[in-house]
Amino acid sequence: MASALRPTMLRQAFAAAAPAQRCFSTAMPAFRAAQLARQQPIKSAFVRNALPGATRVAAFHASPARAILPPLPQVIKGTVNDAAQVPDPTPMHGSYHWSFERIMSAGLIPLTVAPFATGSLNPTLDSLLIAGILIHSHIGFESVIIDYVPEHRMPRLRKLLMWALKAATVVVGIGFYEFETNDVGLTEAIKRVWKA
Amino acid sequence: MASLRPFATRLGPRLFRRGLATTVEPIAGFSEATSKSSAPIPESKTTTVKEPSPDADSKIKTFHIYRWNPDEPTAKPRMQSYTLDLNKTGPMMLDALIRIKNEIDPTLTFRRSCREGICGSCAMNIDGVNTLACLCRIPTETSKESRIYPLPHTYVVKDLVPDLTQFYKQYKSIKPYLQRDTPPPDGRENRQSKADRRKLDGLYECILCACCSTSCPSYWWNSEEYLGPAVLLQSYRWIADSRDEKTAQRQDALNNSMSLYRCHTILNCSRTCPKGLNPALAIAEIKKSMAFT
Repeated sequence: MASALRPTMLRQAFAAAAPAQRCFSTAMPAFRAAQLARQQPIKSAFVRNALPGATRVAAFHASPARAILPPLPQVIKGTVNDAAQVPDPTPMHGSYHWSFERIMSAGLIPLTVAPFATGSLNPTLDSLLIAGILIHSHIGFESVIIDYVPEHRMPRLRKLLMWALKAATVVVGIGFYEFETNDVGLTEAIKRVWKA
Repeated sequence: MASLRPFATRLGPRLFRRGLATTVEPIAGFSEATSKSSAPIPESKTTTVKEPSPDADSKIKTFHIYRWNPDEPTAKPRMQSYTLDLNKTGPMMLDALIRIKNEIDPTLTFRRSCREGICGSCAMNIDGVNTLACLCRIPTETSKESRIYPLPHTYVVKDLVPDLTQFYKQYKSIKPYLQRDTPPPDGRENRQSKADRRKLDGLYECILCACCSTSCPSYWWNSEEYLGPAVLLQSYRWIADSRDEKTAQRQDALNNSMSLYRCHTILNCSRTCPKGLNPALAIAEIKKSMAFT
């Protein structure tokens, strides 16, 4: 708050107050001193407009804090001159993973079009498409968990969510299998629903 | 005067002091104040000094600036407003900040050095965009108020000064220098063809202002492990260098789930770069060069 109050001590305001201060030091009748003190110190328009008064300092946080994942105090590992730690190379989670993910994403485009383009709604293409969707969405959700649930901060929640995702993928897989074997199948269902 | 006062008291009872004052006190101000029976006319009615009126064609613009003082750690950050006449201010945001610091509030804290976009010190968030204050023009329409924050999602040292320790530690971790085991063929210097040199254009110009890294949501959430666009751009600058012989090791250092692959091609980095570089392209080139390896 010190900096917010400081402007009142600045330049013109200070200069206006100074003579009054000087008067007090001499022998001066009390009524005159009171009259001078009652007077507003002369401020220029610039000072009045440019300097923030108490009302011009807005609160930064308008709403109460909601601590979903509040920032931790800053931790510097080692000294400030040490390099950040380089993790060991793990291509299975690095370049192989990325290449596989890109192939899956690119492969899904022809797989969605193929059954309708060829006109043959056969179960082989259907199962390929479903496998692709399953893997693609599994990788996508995995990425979301890695992004938003940091392992160094919430290791147990991270593990729990990863297992929940695996379970969900298995359940969806079983659901698709049931739909394929006991019902019309994915592409046929889309064809029936799609009215365009 | 101090010596005269006890003299005046000594002369007689309090009642007589007024009458005696003119003779005893030689100071005019004192005698006038004590001798006059009517109330003095206030200064505002006698003064010839006029209040300075604002210029008719002045362009007053308001700047809201983020303030936080580490000396008061319990106080919450707040926005402080300053108004400047744009006619008396330089064209850039840094000019406005320097003028506020010089003329209005010397407690305002920010980094600046070169004032021409070479040093990268004055990186901050101006009107919602990470940029260098020295390269950012002040929008001339005075109806719109400018808001200035420190770089987002950084630990703030004071006011507009972010703590870039982690950023620099990560930069150091990619070994940003030429690594060679073999001496140059002619024994004098490491030569490079013009085509190889051209590959470094758009990479070597980076001034490490951290505008791109702090604009990246992925870096906001995972700055402990993800390197961020600026550092990855610098990493690619050495991977792409034909004279460097540790390309494979440099790639291995990035080959994990966090260091490089937290980039989801959001492209905030390329949009915000005040130097017009393309960190997202560099990251994509690294990913491409590492595919299937």
